[in-house]
Amino acid sequence: MSAMNQPLGQTWVQKATGPVLWKWIGRALLVVGAVVLVLFPLSPSMSAQNTVILALVFAISASGLNIITGYAGYLSLGQGAFLGIGAYTGAILSRAFPDVSPFAWVPIGGVVAAIFAVLLGLVTYRTRGAAFVIITIAFTLLVQFIARNWDPVTNGSTGITLPLPDWPRELGNWPFHLVLVALLAASLLMSWWIRRTKFGTGLIAIREDEGKAGTIGINAPVYKLLAFGLSTIFVGMAGAVYGYYLTYVDPIGMFAIMQSLLIVLAVILGGRGSLWGPVLGAFLLIPINDWANTVFSGGNFRLVILGALLVLLILLLPAGVLPSLEKLRDRLHTRGTVGLSGKRLDFDAAITTAPVSRPVDPDKPLLEVRGLVKSFGANRAVDGATFTVPEGSITALIGPNGSGKTTVFNLISGVMTPDAGEIVFDGKPIGRTAPWTRAHHGIGRTFQITRLFKEMTVLENVVAPLRDFEFRQLGSGAVSGAEAKRAEELLHFVGVAEYKDVPAHALSYGQQKLVELAQVLILEPKLIMLDEPAGGINPTLIERMGELIRELNRQGTTFLLVEHNMPFVLGLCDPIRVLARGAVIAEGSPDAIQKDPLVLDAYLGDDFMLEGESKTQSVPTLGEGER
Amino acid sequence: MIAFLQALILGLLIGAVYALMASGLTLIFGVMRVVNLAHGAFAILAAFLTWTLWSALGIDPLLSIPIVVVAMFVIGWLTYQGTVRFVRGSHMSTSVLLTFGIGLLLEGIMGFIWGNRSHTARTGYTDASLQIGDMFLPVAQLISAGIAVIVIVLLWLVLSRTWQGRAIRAASVNDSAAKIVGVNAQKVSAFTFGLGIATLGAGGAMIAVIYPFVPGQHDQWIARLLAIVVLGGLGSLPGAVIGALIVGVGESMATAYIGAAWPVAIPFLVIFIVLLVRPQGIMGTRLREDAVA
Repeated sequence: MSAMNQPLGQTWVQKATGPVLWKWIGRALLVVGAVVLVLFPLSPSMSAQNTVILALVFAISASGLNIITGYAGYLSLGQGAFLGIGAYTGAILSRAFPDVSPFAWVPIGGVVAAIFAVLLGLVTYRTRGAAFVIITIAFTLLVQFIARNWDPVTNGSTGITLPLPDWPRELGNWPFHLVLVALLAASLLMSWWIRRTKFGTGLIAIREDEGKAGTIGINAPVYKLLAFGLSTIFVGMAGAVYGYYLTYVDPIGMFAIMQSLLIVLAVILGGRGSLWGPVLGAFLLIPINDWANTVFSGGNFRLVILGALLVLLILLLPAGVLPSLEKLRDRLHTRGTVGLSGKRLDFDAAITTAPVSRPVDPDKPLLEVRGLVKSFGANRAVDGATFTVPEGSITALIGPNGSGKTTVFNLISGVMTPDAGEIVFDGKPIGRTAPWTRAHHGIGRTFQITRLFKEMTVLENVVAPLRDFEFRQLGSGAVSGAEAKRAEELLHFVGVAEYKDVPAHALSYGQQKLVELAQVLILEPKLIMLDEPAGGINPTLIERMGELIRELNRQGTTFLLVEHNMPFVLGLCDPIRVLARGAVIAEGSPDAIQKDPLVLDAYLGDDFMLEGESKTQSVPTLGEGER
Repeated sequence: MIAFLQALILGLLIGAVYALMASGLTLIFGVMRVVNLAHGAFAILAAFLTWTLWSALGIDPLLSIPIVVVAMFVIGWLTYQGTVRFVRGSHMSTSVLLTFGIGLLLEGIMGFIWGNRSHTARTGYTDASLQIGDMFLPVAQLISAGIAVIVIVLLWLVLSRTWQGRAIRAASVNDSAAKIVGVNAQKVSAFTFGLGIATLGAGGAMIAVIYPFVPGQHDQWIARLLAIVVLGGLGSLPGAVIGALIVGVGESMATAYIGAAWPVAIPFLVIFIVLLVRPQGIMGTRLREDAVA
């Protein structure tokens, strides 16, 4: 195939320009679908109309759920509750004000649902993973319990009957239908907007790695609260319409876990994280659900069908229909072309672009750590560590494995809170602040095992960090002009510019380290903390890493690095702090450290010596630590 | 005072049965980080198996426990090999949804086989009580609690004294390190899943005598069992026991002093409060999160 002879690096470009045809097919399908959907009440079959109205309600709910489950990665089995809360809000208000059309309460249903969601978000802001799923189940059952027992307001288990539609019979379902179509359109518009803004990128960063997201300046709690609220607002509105349509709400019907399950199933079936997936899922699922209900009179048959569908989906098609189709399309398109993965790194880009320049005062400590303590159970991993990092230095933190180096890093970057001790950065105490606040102050870090956002492209990874937090910044484009240009410069600077459109998980470990460095650099931090920058990467890359660090340091960036590669450390760093059993046992210049009997005993070993000058030399590592 | 003591003892008795049922849930989570939302459905299944043995063959429900335990072990083992195995190591939500689907499937299948009306295995001692002073202690619950304690002790012996048990504990502390020292993670997980469902089965047999049960009840059971393991700390066996006793007493006190509708709400309230105040539970510990990816 001729594609084999193409210069490397065109694959991804080609992917972006190739499928114009697909785009048009997609658009045509969309227009046809939208027209059919809007005009559907022309259908003579009342039961088909009913199915479409239910599908609309569930499509709105699924599209909302997609924001927290698809984008932010928080699985909720409580989305049905917000539909119920909206429906109950409408019903309670209709009962109190019988003269007003129930449609008037639709916006209020949305607001009430969003308030509940934000409250739930406040309650759960510390919980992740399994605990979050559990709490959403508990939330649904708790709301059901309240609806069942708060008789004066909710009329208990009996439920509330709403007035019948007050419009002429000829209009049929049109008002219900059109209001729901409008809500679905609004919901999709919001979802689309979120996906292409900083807000959306932040949510995806949270999904991929919430801890890491904090260290690059993403204020996860605020993002999550907003996402919770937005994910339910149209759902609450749809709930108010739904209750009116059914003319009846009761605790069992409205707050059944099955409702939530249908919504989750729709999202997964269609494809989580994709804009149209949840809608497609709802329109596939609701007819199946209806069929099971009417033809087989529901009950056990419906449970078996839905249960089996869920099990099979998870086992056979976990990505969902739309993303799987997209993948298939991309496979057809890139067949016969060559990827980038095997290629040597291109270092021709001499380090020219100066990322930042700032004056330094070498007598001033940029970072001061005093008496830091952190225990895990009975193990005091950090036990009174005290040291400084002078401004403009490349300071190393060395010590045997388990001496507490990475924990010190975690305490400084805010991934963990110290049990005792102080951390002063640039004159300000930061020991109790959130990770993103520290990132905003000018601390950037990398991780020992790289933690890029795997599903994002390299470029998206580099533009994801945020230098501060403002509400209006949430709405700006995810990858926008000046920032994208800057990110490309940085990728060039670290030598991986060619990979900018490749998903991060496709890169090698060493390449990921370089991208993570670029990701930190875009924050323009005053202090960069590198956790084993030379670990697990090849000698050429190690050399490259050393050059980069030195160059950045010349421009005024201070470094603190943890490293076991002693030639690398001794050639690059001054001063050096030696950590053993959680405390600093020695500090000073490389020469002094190499001769310090305490250090030789605790870490380097008494047979340690370096021959001659070893600046950035990357010979096999001596003193691996476990001596 | 008598009423209080009565409620306390009843709570502790039922708490022992809850502890037995929750031990499997916490064990499975500990080893494979899977929250088994089908746990409630498996409990009801065990109750139906017990009921069938009793009504068809006349085997006493509590004496049938060994048979039910073996049957449930096989069912658990097969469930792992047929489904859960394929989602190990993927995102938490995947296994949650998978087991939720399994729970629904089981609920539907049980409905087909046994119908959706309420069942109880009514034995000679179902309504019998032992009178001590002014207190009445239901015989079925006394025996059940006794058996529950025995099974929990047996489970603890298996975990601490046998190679299989040590492998399970190793895998729950550090999966990859266990692999390195020759623990076959898949085998251990399958065994754990079977073991977890088997101990649950013993509890299910007791439910058959103590409570009326229907297939649709499984979400109520899963809420209760989740509350227990969340309270005790996900993955901790002693935690599950303490959590179960607290939830048992809490429900019993709520019935005695607040009203018959309230015990249902206890689990949800427990989940909310625990996850707010101490997300790691009573016995759970927080470890460094960055060490092993």
